[in-house]
Amino acid sequence: MANSSDHNAEVLTPTPGERLTHFFARRDVKRTTVLFFLWTALFVVLGLVFYPKWMPEIMSKEMKSAESIMIWFTVISAPIAGLVLAIATNSFMDMHRGDNPPEDGPAIRTHGPIVAVWTVGSLVFALVAIAWGLIEVNSQAVAAASDAKSAITVEVTGSQWLWTFNYPAQGIETHELNLPVGVPVIFDVKSADVNHSFWPVQLGVKVDANAQVTTVIHTTPTKVGVIEVKCAELCGLYHAYMETNGAVMSPSDFNAWVLAQGGHTA
Amino acid sequence: MSTSTKSKDVARPVPNPKRSLITRLHMGTGVVVGVILAAIVYYLLKKSLLTYTDGAADPLSPHDNNILLLGTMFTWSIGFMIGIGALIGPWRWLVGKDLTDEEILYMAGDGQGVKRYFKYCTDHKVVGIQYLVGVMTLLGVGGTMAMMIRTSLARPGAHFVTPTVYNSLVGLHGITMIIAMIIVATGPFGNYIMPIMIGAYDMAFPRLNALSWWVLFTAIPVLCSAWFLGGIPTGWTAYAPLSIQAGPGMNAFIATIIIFAVSTAVAGMNITTTVVAMRTKGMKWNRVPIFVIGSTISVALAIPAFPTFMVSMIMTGLDRTYNTGFFDANMGGSGWLYANLFWIMGHPEVYVILIPGVAALMEIAPVFVRKPLFSYNAAIMGFAGIAGLSILVWAHHMYIAGWAPSLNGAFMVTTEMISIPTGLLFLVLIGTLWRGKPWMKLPMLSIFAFIWDFLIGGITGIYLSDVPADGYLHGSMFVTAHFHFTLMGAALTGAIGGLAYWYPKMTGRMLNERAGYISFWFVQIGFNVLFFGMFMAGAEGQPRRVLDYAALYKNSNLISTIGAYSVGIGMIILLWAVIHSARHGKVAPMNPWGAKTLEWTVPYPVPLTNFDELPIITSDPYGYGKGK
Repeated sequence: MANSSDHNAEVLTPTPGERLTHFFARRDVKRTTVLFFLWTALFVVLGLVFYPKWMPEIMSKEMKSAESIMIWFTVISAPIAGLVLAIATNSFMDMHRGDNPPEDGPAIRTHGPIVAVWTVGSLVFALVAIAWGLIEVNSQAVAAASDAKSAITVEVTGSQWLWTFNYPAQGIETHELNLPVGVPVIFDVKSADVNHSFWPVQLGVKVDANAQVTTVIHTTPTKVGVIEVKCAELCGLYHAYMETNGAVMSPSDFNAWVLAQGGHTA
Repeated sequence: MSTSTKSKDVARPVPNPKRSLITRLHMGTGVVVGVILAAIVYYLLKKSLLTYTDGAADPLSPHDNNILLLGTMFTWSIGFMIGIGALIGPWRWLVGKDLTDEEILYMAGDGQGVKRYFKYCTDHKVVGIQYLVGVMTLLGVGGTMAMMIRTSLARPGAHFVTPTVYNSLVGLHGITMIIAMIIVATGPFGNYIMPIMIGAYDMAFPRLNALSWWVLFTAIPVLCSAWFLGGIPTGWTAYAPLSIQAGPGMNAFIATIIIFAVSTAVAGMNITTTVVAMRTKGMKWNRVPIFVIGSTISVALAIPAFPTFMVSMIMTGLDRTYNTGFFDANMGGSGWLYANLFWIMGHPEVYVILIPGVAALMEIAPVFVRKPLFSYNAAIMGFAGIAGLSILVWAHHMYIAGWAPSLNGAFMVTTEMISIPTGLLFLVLIGTLWRGKPWMKLPMLSIFAFIWDFLIGGITGIYLSDVPADGYLHGSMFVTAHFHFTLMGAALTGAIGGLAYWYPKMTGRMLNERAGYISFWFVQIGFNVLFFGMFMAGAEGQPRRVLDYAALYKNSNLISTIGAYSVGIGMIILLWAVIHSARHGKVAPMNPWGAKTLEWTVPYPVPLTNFDELPIITSDPYGYGKGK
């Protein structure tokens, strides 16, 4: 395909360097470049500022990983968003008003190298996102396997509209989810009726509760504090109220709580 | 291949069409026959079910009640189709005859004025307008429900509606909007404009075209009846076993989906066949307007996708009526089976919605920028790539379901790959904008809004499809905000752009520009405020579909509600403009935008067979520009 930016080609074929200089000297290119940096900066700021500000306290590695993905994927995609929006804004600023159409623009049908670069660029972007995700998934799976021996197990049962937590090793059953800090925990989740989704918000993990099957998730609380437990799958009338609180506490506090509930420490 | 609407001189005597049965049937007779048959079946079923259980005046068990309601609803749909005359043709075939030429001409609505919109009319232009009115009605109903949801969520404490009403609002808003959005572009524009665009006299199967609309029409009262039967508690996803436990309103949901699936299957086959077989001479595949390509890919994607929804609903219905236990784990069934069937439809379906909207904007862009569409091939590869990948990504909706966690990685790979063809769609649009001076009219404005909205929807989609981030975000308001950016911000914006663009051809008048601009800014600013608030609520940890929320989320929800009211005001202005301009707008010239596609070469009102003589195509319709 002919490169249509060469309408004004001089008699002497310009070198690639000269062509680049010529290209960036154009008014619309200059303006687009400025807009590119502005839009990119906006998206970087959006990612870096808003998500950490909005998200609840980070109390596990899984939660940290979710937050990093939200922040850094925004930052990585900022230049792409910036470019698209810069070109759109530049075009918007060149608008033609009136009742008759503007005169025709240049007949650019396509531009092979641009399409190729764009496609390869988005492939690379997708591969980064995929690699990041796969590495995280794998490291979580590895951690789950290696922590399994030292973990405490909590059997979680969702029922309309109540969470029940059974600690088999401690021999207690409660409706508040308390966990010792730094100790891996395995949640065995099931449902007494319809689907629910077990969501200890500050721990950043989630798994559905189904009847007759047990689903499993794993995490390690890394910080002492309050956790909210919610249901993330519409489960009928009082879905919104199917929540409870709990806490990540020091191991000694946890043991004291277990004893106070009539259980026994390991 | 001439079509059935072309009258031929036939020597044999034909009965006077004035006395033919078909002339006496219309929407009214359809409703009458539908209601009467439904009432008879209701009565008979109730009688027999009461005898079947334990006689006398015992109230029906829930299972029997479900049988009764489903039977009545399907009978209504079939009865309406009989009453409007849909089966006259098939009946004639059965007895070895066919409709007469006069009857065929009559069914095309020849010279019947406004009446033909209420008849079983085979003219694709009539069907297009019927779809447009249907879409606007559904969007109005769904939008009103959205406003009620947002009103209810304006402050914490659930003061506005009861939990039952709230859950019904959420579910019915969802399914109403999904149905509306599936047909929003391919219904009105795919029927009215597309056959003219490809230079055809009509659709390939004009009678099936009428069938697809009127079958869909019968689903609307069924859907509305859900409200009076106690609503649906399940959201539009209708997950089992909640759907099996649900009350009688669920039957309306099931019947609606099954009826709708029939309609889309018929419409999908019709549009696909028309585009494959009825393009005019010279319109090779590389000269077909991009909107036609997009719509065809979209409906072709729907053909394999929607039957799984239909099947899952039939199975849900059987579970609810005859206790078959397909999805009941206590009987050896599986809720995961339902979730899989649902999302095997559900993910292709979002692209069925998206693609025609984008394609409409791609059709618009060259006309208003006065440049060729940038890289037509990339646009097609983008659509085809999305359609191909979209059937391989369904379980990204089930990352946290606990079903086959070891497959999460694979579904993450396919999902992230979708960003490549999606990127091509952006490239085509910004490439077309580059170095052009866009003519700032309503359709053009939609392109800019689309680029912004779809970018936000796309970027947030990238981390939702990454498993660890989804572990936090799944089922939260963040997801709701994300898919509204794609379905409303992108697809609906595209469809509204298409409406502004094709309005002069469909009504003969220009859409009121000032009202259009005012509406545009109310809708777009409101939309962004609304879903910014919802991203915030989701990131803060608010689950979706909740009636009430903690004080922590009160700012984000208030922001959303304020935005929602702005959208509501804008939509009402747009509705006013669409209705008002149809009668009082400026009379449109034949080709107000100076476009090069075929629909602008025919006058308004468009003649019954569109063209006296089919045009011959020698190039694609994007030959704008200096120095070509």
